[in-house]
Amino acid sequence: MAKTVRKKSNGKFVGVLVLVVIVGVAALGYVVAQPRAGIRPVDPNLPPGTAEGYLVGNPDAPVKVVEFGDFECPACGQWATVTEPDVRSRLIATGKISFRYFDYPLDVHRNTWPASNAVACAADQGKFVEMHDGVFAAQDQWNGEATRDPSKVLRKVAESVGLDMDAWQKCYDAQANYPRIKASQEEGARRGINQTPTFIIGSTIYPGAMPYDQFAKAVEAEAAKAAASSKPAGPAASKAPSTKNPL
Amino acid sequence: MQRQAIAILALLGVFLAGYLTLYHYGYLGSLACGTGGCEKVQTSKYAMFMGLPVALWGVGYYATAAAIAIAGSVGSGPERAWPTTALLVLNGWGVAFSSYLTWLELARIHAICRYCVVSAAAVAVLFGLSAWDWRARASR
Repeated sequence: MAKTVRKKSNGKFVGVLVLVVIVGVAALGYVVAQPRAGIRPVDPNLPPGTAEGYLVGNPDAPVKVVEFGDFECPACGQWATVTEPDVRSRLIATGKISFRYFDYPLDVHRNTWPASNAVACAADQGKFVEMHDGVFAAQDQWNGEATRDPSKVLRKVAESVGLDMDAWQKCYDAQANYPRIKASQEEGARRGINQTPTFIIGSTIYPGAMPYDQFAKAVEAEAAKAAASSKPAGPAASKAPSTKNPL
Repeated sequence: MQRQAIAILALLGVFLAGYLTLYHYGYLGSLACGTGGCEKVQTSKYAMFMGLPVALWGVGYYATAAAIAIAGSVGSGPERAWPTTALLVLNGWGVAFSSYLTWLELARIHAICRYCVVSAAAVAVLFGLSAWDWRARASR
């Protein structure tokens, strides 16, 4: 008798567990399938900006990608260290996209301006990519929670990428690139950017970090759009190489 | 009875922590800086523990609790004593760790993620149920 009661109780219990699993999987599946919030087209009426950011890759690639990033933002750091290597090797190196990085230092991050400054001074010596990667990789050592003075760590990163350190230090101390960083930040504000990283892939704005597969899918969609819109123009559509800011 | 309740609640916890894990990896919404409390918490340096997202540790914790509770609830499980001890230790550790995480949110990150609050409450209830199970067993 007791055995039968326990069996019945077990049956009910297992039934509830199965129900929880079904509802849980369905709920997760539903939220994963939802389109990402905040994706929107670039305002076609906005006049081009003057900020140039840092260009990586072929400026005449069919799809232009822009990132608004903050060197102290952990989401940007994670994207830069986990996803960006794939983006570089599979999309930039293959000529599918050009990639332009704009500083978008957020007020909540204490040491982001010195980091942007450090990278800008390295970019002056043609080492933007190396310094960008080094600064993101060492983010946990120089961020506002780790230290009040990030200069020592940033200098170490600069040394590790093989810069002319006298020139870099002079540039860093003089904060000569602050206007350039400010211009990038203003460009982001003008475009309604309010979080980092935010990507502009072709004609669409994607707020937030994206895994590689989603990123590549967005690039493919833009490439298809670009191919479709360039067809009627024919061979006459070939343009002179452009190094200008795509914004 | 208590073990069954633990199993169901822990299983719900697996999906809650699973949601946060997917969020951490950018599969849900957008992981970004400069927005709300959850984003601030999830993008802080404290969102990682021993190289893995805290949310993923949460999935492991809830899954382990659910597995122990299920093992202690079906078949001859209710007669066994070890699930009581295991659940008490595991959920005791869970309460300690989630208290630490809540302290980090309040004192270090200065932001509150509502999903983390729900999870902390679930862990507290799991511990309460484990203590109840232990007392019931001790008084038999």
